[in-house]
Amino acid sequence: MPDRFVQEGTAPPRSGAPPDMEMVAELERVRQRDPEALAAFFELYFDRVYGLVYRLLGDRVQAEDMAQEVFLKVHRAADRIDPMRDPIPWLMTIAHNACRDLWRSNAWKLTRRSASLDGDSPLAETLTPGTNDPERDLIASERERLVQEALQRLSEPLRVAIVMHDYQGLGHDEIAAITGINHAAVRKRYSRALAALGRLLKDSLA
Amino acid sequence: MNGERPDLVTPEAARAREALRALAPPRPDPAFRERLKRDFVAGHIGERRTLVLPIPGRRRLAWRLALAPAALVLLAVAAWLANRGPGWSVMTTRGEGSAIVDGAPVPLASREQLGRRLRPGARLTVPAGAEVELASISGLVVQVTAGTEFTLPATPGRWLQRRVTGAVRHGEVRVTTGHAFAGALLRLDTPEAAVEVTGTTLAVICEPTGTCVCVYDGVVRVGPRGSGMVGVPNGRRRFVFNDGRPPESAEIRPMENTKLARFRDSRREWLEGAAR
Repeated sequence: MPDRFVQEGTAPPRSGAPPDMEMVAELERVRQRDPEALAAFFELYFDRVYGLVYRLLGDRVQAEDMAQEVFLKVHRAADRIDPMRDPIPWLMTIAHNACRDLWRSNAWKLTRRSASLDGDSPLAETLTPGTNDPERDLIASERERLVQEALQRLSEPLRVAIVMHDYQGLGHDEIAAITGINHAAVRKRYSRALAALGRLLKDSLA
Repeated sequence: MNGERPDLVTPEAARAREALRALAPPRPDPAFRERLKRDFVAGHIGERRTLVLPIPGRRRLAWRLALAPAALVLLAVAAWLANRGPGWSVMTTRGEGSAIVDGAPVPLASREQLGRRLRPGARLTVPAGAEVELASISGLVVQVTAGTEFTLPATPGRWLQRRVTGAVRHGEVRVTTGHAFAGALLRLDTPEAAVEVTGTTLAVICEPTGTCVCVYDGVVRVGPRGSGMVGVPNGRRRFVFNDGRPPESAEIRPMENTKLARFRDSRREWLEGAAR
């Protein structure tokens, strides 16, 4: 198994890039649900999936549940992976669809209605990697909390557009393919999301 | 508007974008991550832990389909109950002794007990020297005189089943109606005649030779049973013979006119109240 594949945080090949034959071979093994290949796949993509669903849902418990659901779907659909293509858009599509289904569910609406705001403050401390500078850690933690809260105040389509573009680094065309809307609409949503986020954070980031 | 062109991005939006891009990756609970990886590799990954999934559309549809007949039945029962007219109540009793209701004696002094027994279809016999007045707030008062055997009609429904039927076997009943009775129809059958009442005051008298119908006000349709009916206006009476002779019409009997006038006047106020 190539080191690059198993190393956590290694950037996957971008869409449109020529397929790496070692990666193709690994994805082929994932297709066959080879345990080693599945473990490597998980290591490579878990953080990315978790990061997306956490930023979209804004809640650690919900994000863990959602990540579990996404990997359940991945396991079930592993035989449909195209080894010749970057699996990131496929994973992001699964994650986005799962979040969208959740947002549409009555369970989510009930959860939102009864959600407590108290749980997120200590959570922020655990989410930000610590440094040796406590003051810097505190500022980073507070900034993260503010941004996360502002994201949650955006409508779900706007949140998807800005998180996928600015946090996940996806292009508008990729987001369009993932969300199933056209490119122009994605750009428009992104612009609106960015303007709204700027307004929400205007005072706190000044 | 283009979100990627710097000249179109406001300073606060640019700061927000930088803050978002600078966010550190969230760190899940290491134990959760390890467990999920183990389950994913082993293929034992489960459904989401805490979220309550909504009932899938098909199951919800099945529930709705299953509950629909019950809802329809409930709706029908509610409509039937709402439509059902108020029952008969005993307005007054005069005389002593007991009336016979469906073969069982009921003391005339006990109006409450009598009222409980007098359901639509009940056969009421009033003893000699007595009188019973029944009322329904659907605008109907029936005076059952001494020696009469009367089968109670249902009271008219509020919207449906506004046509009701009773019977007089022998004796005399007087009927008067109020505004609340408008649109309803009471049919009274005697051994030889049929009487249709839509809004009037009248008496139906069963005599040894036939049935006499005296009309005090309004118009009543009268005829031999199973034969054509004619309208009898106020101040007139019609006699239907039981020996096959053709019916005859004449002026209302003066005595009956007086009794009907008194009956009508005594119940006018109550009937107008019932209409409100």
